[in-house]
Amino acid sequence: MTRIVLVRLAWMLPILFGVSVVAFALMRALPGDFAQAAAGTTDLSPEALDTIRRGLGLDKPIWAQYLLWLGGLASGDFGSSFVTHKPVLGELLPRLAVTAELTLMAGAMAMVLGVFTGLASARLRGRTDWFVRGFNGLLLAVPNFVVATLIVLLAGLYFPELGIFNYTPFFTDPLGNLGSMLLPAFALALAVSVTISENTRAAVLEVSSQDFVMVARAKGLRPGAILRNYLVRNALTPVITVTGLQLASLLGGSILIETIFTIPGMGQYLFDSITSRDYPVIQAIVLVAAVIVLLVNVLVDVAYARVDARVSYG
Amino acid sequence: MMRNSLSADPSPLDEAQTVLDMATVRRRDALRLALAGAAMAVTPFAHAQSGGTPKRGGTLTIGADADPIGLDPTTVTAYSSYDFTALLYTGLLRWNAEMKVEPDLATGYITPDETTYIFRLRQGVKFHNGQPFSAEDVKYTFDRILDPATASPSLNLFSAIKAVTVVDAYTVKFELKTPSATFLSYLATNPNGSIVPKGVADLKTKPVGTGPFVFESYEPNQQFTLKANPDYYEEKQPYLATVVFKFFKDQGSLASAIRSKAIDMTWFKDPKVSAQIVKTTRDLVSAPGKTSRTFPVWMNVKTKPFDDVRVRRALSLASNRTACLQTVLGSTGGKVGAMVPESQVGGYDGVSAMPYYKHDVAAAKKLLAEAGHPNGIDLGDYIVVAANALDVQCAQVLQQQWAAAGIKVNLKPMETAPLISMWLKGEFGLLSVALSWSPDPDAIVSRLTSGHSHGKAMGMDDAQLDKMVIDARAILDYGKRAAAYQQIQKHIAEQAYVLQIYQYPLRWEAWRGHVKGYVPLAANIRSFVRTTWIAS
Repeated sequence: MTRIVLVRLAWMLPILFGVSVVAFALMRALPGDFAQAAAGTTDLSPEALDTIRRGLGLDKPIWAQYLLWLGGLASGDFGSSFVTHKPVLGELLPRLAVTAELTLMAGAMAMVLGVFTGLASARLRGRTDWFVRGFNGLLLAVPNFVVATLIVLLAGLYFPELGIFNYTPFFTDPLGNLGSMLLPAFALALAVSVTISENTRAAVLEVSSQDFVMVARAKGLRPGAILRNYLVRNALTPVITVTGLQLASLLGGSILIETIFTIPGMGQYLFDSITSRDYPVIQAIVLVAAVIVLLVNVLVDVAYARVDARVSYG
Repeated sequence: MMRNSLSADPSPLDEAQTVLDMATVRRRDALRLALAGAAMAVTPFAHAQSGGTPKRGGTLTIGADADPIGLDPTTVTAYSSYDFTALLYTGLLRWNAEMKVEPDLATGYITPDETTYIFRLRQGVKFHNGQPFSAEDVKYTFDRILDPATASPSLNLFSAIKAVTVVDAYTVKFELKTPSATFLSYLATNPNGSIVPKGVADLKTKPVGTGPFVFESYEPNQQFTLKANPDYYEEKQPYLATVVFKFFKDQGSLASAIRSKAIDMTWFKDPKVSAQIVKTTRDLVSAPGKTSRTFPVWMNVKTKPFDDVRVRRALSLASNRTACLQTVLGSTGGKVGAMVPESQVGGYDGVSAMPYYKHDVAAAKKLLAEAGHPNGIDLGDYIVVAANALDVQCAQVLQQQWAAAGIKVNLKPMETAPLISMWLKGEFGLLSVALSWSPDPDAIVSRLTSGHSHGKAMGMDDAQLDKMVIDARAILDYGKRAAAYQQIQKHIAEQAYVLQIYQYPLRWEAWRGHVKGYVPLAANIRSFVRTTWIAS
């Protein structure tokens, strides 16, 4: 087990290397660089633009820029933001914590909502099933930024005292912080809960037609016990996989949700940096996000082994 | 109040005269200075301060849609930084609410001849770091702007300056290469004419100016905090103790924030959104906009078929400008546009006749046929800024109008950064992007000259236009200069180098009722936060 986990972790390195190359090259392949994006339609001579680029090291050949950046990474230096002129890492870590909180809250909400509606759908069938599936279909069709925008607009119109933009840092006021994260996390959770709900439903339906469930029922176990000990436990494996995989979409969703709710997280930072072509920031965020997704994949594998006795890593 | 200390004080002229021992100050110059004083006396402060006696203290929270990129006024290129430099720094001159130039760090100026300006400076002014302000700082600021190594966007604007000399601690002399009508306008414009302290580094992140507010803290994407400058030279100002900018990157969030009182003041990009919010929110004041920006369709005149003036004219004739205006802006204060917006010297009034402005589909078809396209023409991609909803709407209307004349275009909304890059490199056929605000029409029309990098990219090569633009720069008489820019605009419309559709306010400002003493400016800055106060 430990060995397998270590091997998995070691595999992350070549993957991250690939990610770093792609992140670096893709941003530079986009037309319009930082100097241009910042200047907008301001009448700036080409020479002045070149001077700005020189100051940021953007005049060097791409491979040289890449090697410089990689060299910095090796010593833990992610470079400095073109916009704020501050080291990226110092800006990124507090934001990472905020996004982690938002994502975890959203993940937990999605899990509760998804598993609950999925179970209800599979066990009660009939009208509940129709309702849940209709609701899921609707949510699947409406992107989360639309839901978020609706929440923001309606709350601003009808509940202005709610103060949806009063983001409070955790260490200033933990309760206020949780409160200010509630709506954004909910907006983020909805779309993901659909996938979890549908998967739970399918898994429970599949498991309930298995022989061992029939046996359990035949020997007179109470429905609650069957649900808890046979159905849920067996249906959980695919649900965990899905939830793990959904982490990437939660991270992706946080970009827009944080922008709309003005939460100072990593997603909002990324959104801004892409618009302004702030290369060092984009690269750092892409790398950090890749590390998170890879780590979660390893965790999901470990979680399998915990819930499914058939899976073992030698 | 503070106006009196300035306008009733004739000493600047006297002092400058005695110091320099200049016997040659002409009557005209003395008159000009007197006029500046008169203009100050009638600045709309009665209007600004209506609603009671200013109260001291309090916090004004402004909703901003973009973070600043650098805070050094000499090197900032981003429009989004102006909001902040405007409160942190001041210049020799400034714009008043009527968009007239008035003295600021200078107390007045004299012009012994058309290429020499001598400014007398305020005494006892301190920078935010305590350093006293003097003529040395003025010289330092402009030497830095004029040094190409600084890569200042203001270099182009001040290219007429030959030399800046310190006459004494409070007198500074500007010598110009040629007479320049734009010089004073640019001096009055923040951040271009903002004075920075000599020998202070890192202004980019640690701004030090002479403005009414001092930099306090900045958390990117969250908030930017400024505190009142206790040493600010205008008596009693600023009234506010703190100004906080909060960032909302999404227009919907911004709207919601002002509704829910998370912010006191903001501006909107879309007049319809603005109107809607003002209508549905109690106690919200909305400013009547002044047209200071145009919506242009740029054509690459070096490529086929745009090198044929008949095709360009056909496009102009096929465009129904009034219909665009009504569809996109409704009744929110827009007008039909030409190169120069109405608020500038020689700006187009939106109604007088312009060549090829009349909507005439038959004439457009006829011109196209003459140009060898009797069955209509496909002009390929028409590139617009995807993020600007107004631009996209107008482009859609134009696409339909042109189709009626047999002109086909493929609408291509794009992200701003690559769009601007294509525009400046001349890699386009048809493209729309509005220019950022500039205080002088020269900044707009000189883009179409053959020597300008942008003119080159678009393939401009019109010797007559080049001469008209250069000549207009040197006309110091306001009336004659206005006439010159009207001629230039007619010429551009005649040749249809650029299709101008409408002109409109840069932004629609709104603030809550308890915010008093604020005046919106046609420029893209909020100068009058210095006179703003919060009523309880």
